Amino acid sequence: MDEITSVFVTESREQLEAMEAALLQLEDQPTDADILGAVFRAAHTIKGGAGVIECQFLVAFTHVVESALDKLRNGEIAANADLIALLLACSDHMGHLIGVLESGAAAPDDGLRADGDALLARLQRDWLSAEGAQDATPPVAAPDEALESSGGGAVETDCWHISLRFGPDVLKNGMDPLSFLRYLGTLGRIERLETLADAMPPADEMDPEACYLGFEISFASSADKAAIEQVFDFVRDECVLHILPPRSKLADYIQLMMALPEDNMRLGEILVRIGALTQAELDEGLRAQSAGSENAEEDAVPAPLGEILVEQRVVQPELVEAAVVKQKQVTDKKAAEARLIRIQADKLDRLIDLVGELVIAGAGVNLLASRAGHADLTEATSIVSRLVESIRDSALQLRMVQIGETFNRFNRVVRDVSKELGKDIELVISGGETELDKSVVEKIGDPLMHLVRNAIDHGIEAPEVRVERSKPPRGRLELNAYHDSGSIVIEIVDDGGGLNREKIARKAVERGLIQPGHTLSDQEVYALIFEAGFSTVDQVSNLSGRGVGMDVVKRNIQSLRGRVEVDSHEGRGTRFSIRLPLTLAIIDGFLVDAGSAGYVIPLDMVVECMELEAGGGERNYLNLRGEVLPFIRLRELFEIPGEPPRRENVVVVKSAGQKAGIVVDQLLGEFQTVIKPLGHLFRNLRGIGGSTILGSGEVALILDVQALVQIAARDEERSLSYSPGGRSGVAG
Amino acid sequence: MGQVVAQPAAAPLAFATSDQGSQQYLTFTLNAEVFAIGILNIKEIIEYGTLTEIPMMPAFIRGVINLRGAVVPVVDLSARFGSRQTEVARRTCIVIVEMAQVVDDAEIRQDIGIVVDSVNEVLEIPPGEIEPPPSFGARIRADFIQGMGKVAGKFVIILNIDRVLSVDEMAQLALVGARLPTEEGNDKHGA
Repeated sequence: MDEITSVFVTESREQLEAMEAALLQLEDQPTDADILGAVFRAAHTIKGGAGVIECQFLVAFTHVVESALDKLRNGEIAANADLIALLLACSDHMGHLIGVLESGAAAPDDGLRADGDALLARLQRDWLSAEGAQDATPPVAAPDEALESSGGGAVETDCWHISLRFGPDVLKNGMDPLSFLRYLGTLGRIERLETLADAMPPADEMDPEACYLGFEISFASSADKAAIEQVFDFVRDECVLHILPPRSKLADYIQLMMALPEDNMRLGEILVRIGALTQAELDEGLRAQSAGSENAEEDAVPAPLGEILVEQRVVQPELVEAAVVKQKQVTDKKAAEARLIRIQADKLDRLIDLVGELVIAGAGVNLLASRAGHADLTEATSIVSRLVESIRDSALQLRMVQIGETFNRFNRVVRDVSKELGKDIELVISGGETELDKSVVEKIGDPLMHLVRNAIDHGIEAPEVRVERSKPPRGRLELNAYHDSGSIVIEIVDDGGGLNREKIARKAVERGLIQPGHTLSDQEVYALIFEAGFSTVDQVSNLSGRGVGMDVVKRNIQSLRGRVEVDSHEGRGTRFSIRLPLTLAIIDGFLVDAGSAGYVIPLDMVVECMELEAGGGERNYLNLRGEVLPFIRLRELFEIPGEPPRRENVVVVKSAGQKAGIVVDQLLGEFQTVIKPLGHLFRNLRGIGGSTILGSGEVALILDVQALVQIAARDEERSLSYSPGGRSGVAG
Repeated sequence: MGQVVAQPAAAPLAFATSDQGSQQYLTFTLNAEVFAIGILNIKEIIEYGTLTEIPMMPAFIRGVINLRGAVVPVVDLSARFGSRQTEVARRTCIVIVEMAQVVDDAEIRQDIGIVVDSVNEVLEIPPGEIEPPPSFGARIRADFIQGMGKVAGKFVIILNIDRVLSVDEMAQLALVGARLPTEEGNDKHGA
């Protein structure tokens, strides 16, 4: 995909998001002109951009959508739930089409095209009526009264003015510009015609198959605008066509001049020459100025190239001098670019990698400096390392994005799902400005989706039930994010029925997850819902209830080094809290070694360290102040050759509420470290979460404590239950 | 390309699956046998240095090294061919090969190191001097062999590096080779 296309894809997705958000707002305020304008602008910008990159299928689809939006904006049709639902479906389809473009396919596949056609057919039938998708308003709609408020009077000519710019591909597509002009001649009389060859490049750059011509035509006819437009139907998508009716306002001519690519003065001259305007009218038009009215700006912003404009409906109350607007456009754009820089994510990743290297190299230097015992050197290196740390912090800051955008997507989800289920649910979002690492944001979407759907499906009750339970019929779902001591907490809170403790416990006993009569805390019971295949719902629905969701949620969150907790009050609702690290790139670790290799244990899992008492025997547990603490011998599990040292140490870790010990050779202390993923080759490896490079240049492995505990438990279970002798390597 | 006309009829078969552009090969010794790989994939050759072993992996995955800040896996070719692990000696080298492979529908580029007993030379083997692999007898999986190059009257096994270092396959083998049973929870659906 070339650069222009990828920029277009990114920007269009943003526009689509804006469009969707505006459409959702429209449900509550169907007549708000600002929102209507926003929806229209988004579609319009996408269409314009698609035209520039010549993505015909997207232009064709969006064009019809835009026509409908245009009608909506002009108040010809009123927004209702059906139309909004249809438009949302259209915006989804546009997203799919952009996806097609992104994937590099030349055209959407048949299924997608059929979907699009169906949507368009519905739009046409229900909202655009018989007159066709093309051009919204008849040209004469510009009412006479508006003339009075405009800066210039009507222009004294009885001819239509047609301004035509053929696209470069017209000839290649087998169209002859001349034949259109001939056909036009059958409708009336071409009074004057001026050919514009301004777009013609120097001879050596000219493509003989491309069409560079434009025409300004003064046309006397009694045909109506639609008929004139029909002349150009075949080249409609490939040409820029402006039609001004006889006695158009001066303002329209000025607007036309602004919309055309050629220089204004030159256009002015041409218009005078073909008799569309007199010199006096032109002068008047260009002189007339006013402070830029809102209308003018609004129209000025989305004016991309390749745009098919039939700007007849807006009556510009005041004229704005062409040059002023064009100039303003340029400065506005520059200002916006200065505030935001779009850079490719991999460049940023590279920077962060390098900073990571710098941190590692800095650690090495510090080590050497302190060994050398040279006071000045130590001081200098400590200054350097402080600076390096601030560079690292700011570099990581670059990757931080607000979570609001992710949250906002759920407006749509909540709307759609609650409609589907016949529930009335309000989504309340707070803390959208909370920032976290982009890679985390990307990966948290799916788990959040599961939890939100679950809350809507199982959590919040149907309106009737809610009324019975004397709750307001409208359910409430909250998405909330905040920072808490170096991590970010995301909460999904519903005010639904809550979890049924007894039911979960019963189900867990049935499934053999817990022993009957075993007493568990509420937290422990609720945590059972994250077990694989666990579901208490009797009815499996489309959305959830198959029991495959929650364990995936938990696993995804754990793979982000986060954890999820659930708290619930029966009848009052449920709260899921997801706690995530701010970044995936750096971890506070505790460095240990076993054999010749170093291992890093995530510091937030470490509870305490102690020496392993010699002669513990065969059993792998110890007495931790009266508690039974099972432990894993890293040497055994990892099959590290050689004899363990005389004194071994135990790192007591806590994961998922469970304590365990890890027996290692030596404790080397805290260590802040940059995580290096191990890559695809090791993707099936459990128990190792990644790697890091030590100050000495050696690679140390980061332990995935939770997985290690599971492995140890399973190994032991297997060796005891299946093969009494123990599989080789398991018992060690 | 006058050779194209002159080459024996069997040669195009041998070449059909391989990289047409590469005619230069790096030869190296492994267990006293000479092998060759196309030079286009090779990034660099480094001395065998500090290597961190990865536990619970099959023997042919030797471990990882720090290559100027990047963590690069190192494969023991000898073990990959089903023989014992290479013993580190004075001339043991790691050849860093850049692989572009499709994993889970996404193309990834990954550097992989391979341990060899010693690196010999870079030489040109014209397509006419490459015979198709024997159907058996090489004691190496047939799909690992791209062809048999004739160099100074002897055969050199030209390796099909995409197959030998297939990330996908090695990751699968790692899953089988590791002692960890696969997710048992997955077959407990229902409720």
